[in-house]
Amino acid sequence: MQEKTEIRKPGVCIPWEEKRRELGPIQGDEQVFQTVWEEVDGLAHLYIWQLLLSF
Amino acid sequence: MHSDMEKEQLYQQRLTRYTKAMRLAKPDRVPIRPFVAEFTAKYAGYTCQEVAHDYRKAFEAACRCAADFDWDAVVANMVYVWTGLTEAIGLRYYGIPGLHIPANVGFQYREPSEEQAFMRPDEYDLLTDDPTGYLFNVWLPRVSADVTAPGQPTAFRSNLSFLKGGMAMMNYFHAFGPQVERLRKECGTVSAIAGILKAPFDILADKLRGYLGLITDLFERPKKVRRACEALMPHLLHTALSGADPQKQVPIGLWMHRGCVPFINRQQFADLYWPTLKPIIEEIHKHGLQTLFYAEGKWAAHLDAFLELPEASIVFHVDQDDVFEVHKKIGHKFCISGGIPNYLLAFEKPAAVRQFCKRLIKEVAKDGRYIADAGAIMQNDISIDNLKEMTASIREYGVY
Repeated sequence: MQEKTEIRKPGVCIPWEEKRRELGPIQGDEQVFQTVWEEVDGLAHLYIWQLLLSF
Repeated sequence: MHSDMEKEQLYQQRLTRYTKAMRLAKPDRVPIRPFVAEFTAKYAGYTCQEVAHDYRKAFEAACRCAADFDWDAVVANMVYVWTGLTEAIGLRYYGIPGLHIPANVGFQYREPSEEQAFMRPDEYDLLTDDPTGYLFNVWLPRVSADVTAPGQPTAFRSNLSFLKGGMAMMNYFHAFGPQVERLRKECGTVSAIAGILKAPFDILADKLRGYLGLITDLFERPKKVRRACEALMPHLLHTALSGADPQKQVPIGLWMHRGCVPFINRQQFADLYWPTLKPIIEEIHKHGLQTLFYAEGKWAAHLDAFLELPEASIVFHVDQDDVFEVHKKIGHKFCISGGIPNYLLAFEKPAAVRQFCKRLIKEVAKDGRYIADAGAIMQNDISIDNLKEMTASIREYGVY
């Protein structure tokens, strides 16, 4: 299955907007969730692009 | 034996020397920044297998060379491909020393036949629409013996490829910080580059369509090739910047492979290669960073194009071009590095090395803006005596 998500920008594999829709109501600080999600998600982008470029 | 304080002074002197030359100022003397790869193994008593498969030994060998030679800057590990990582992921395209090739031969890249290219000719739209998705879902299952494609039954080995690959890559990248510090503290040597870039065209040729496939595509589907290159550009820029030197002192390395005449013709360079690389370099320059054009092969046909770039935005490394001619053409605008022929360092006598270096200093380095290095990365065919002679003669003649 070829997953079709919103256009993946540089540094992004699963955009926060897509993940946010799955979460439902957030009781705490949404920004914390978003920041950490994007940081960790960026590591997946780094992984595949470093494979392509460096290895 | 230098004290810690002397090492730090040495480091600062070398850093100033190196960065001044790159930014077109005249330093106290010509900096030496050799890209020593498997040469380090030869010097330190390791096999190519040991430095490729155990990066700790590669780090050790790099430090031993940096400590023993009077060099200003080196790459923290020029035997960059850690084959322990590529094996953990199951990558098919490496010839690994001691496994697929003799233990004392440098690792090899094995390009598949045109029919077995990792990207098929009808997949340009898939790549262009979603480069990251394509790489994960289509490319990686083809280049890895372990990764299964979406829609196929998953497998233990596939799961482990991602887990071990991700953790090993993090382990490796995190080891570079201490290695750079070790070079500074133990050797007073500067880490020469930070971050990686390739031209979109080269990525298509190296890892996706293969050179032969891409050449066919240039005639049969040139618009799709152009669109794919454009789609790769922002990701390549992002990756380059994410690994760049936060202090903005050392350049990002651009490894230039097949974008020059005669691999492609002048029109293809003008229509495709350069318009999809130049904006990336300009953007890197806007971030206050330089790019090292590691121009493997011969790029003399394209020097006019490189002159379109802002002054000092790049350092131009000469491989097989005539370094004296390159200097005449672009040396007023960019720092030049390299140009000392590898065959000279591998097969000639020290006296011939000295003679070449003397001329190089006199003609190319006379006004600064030059960094001494061989043309190509130095493997284990390089003579230790000749590299010592290169270092000594640059030091002797290269004082301003």
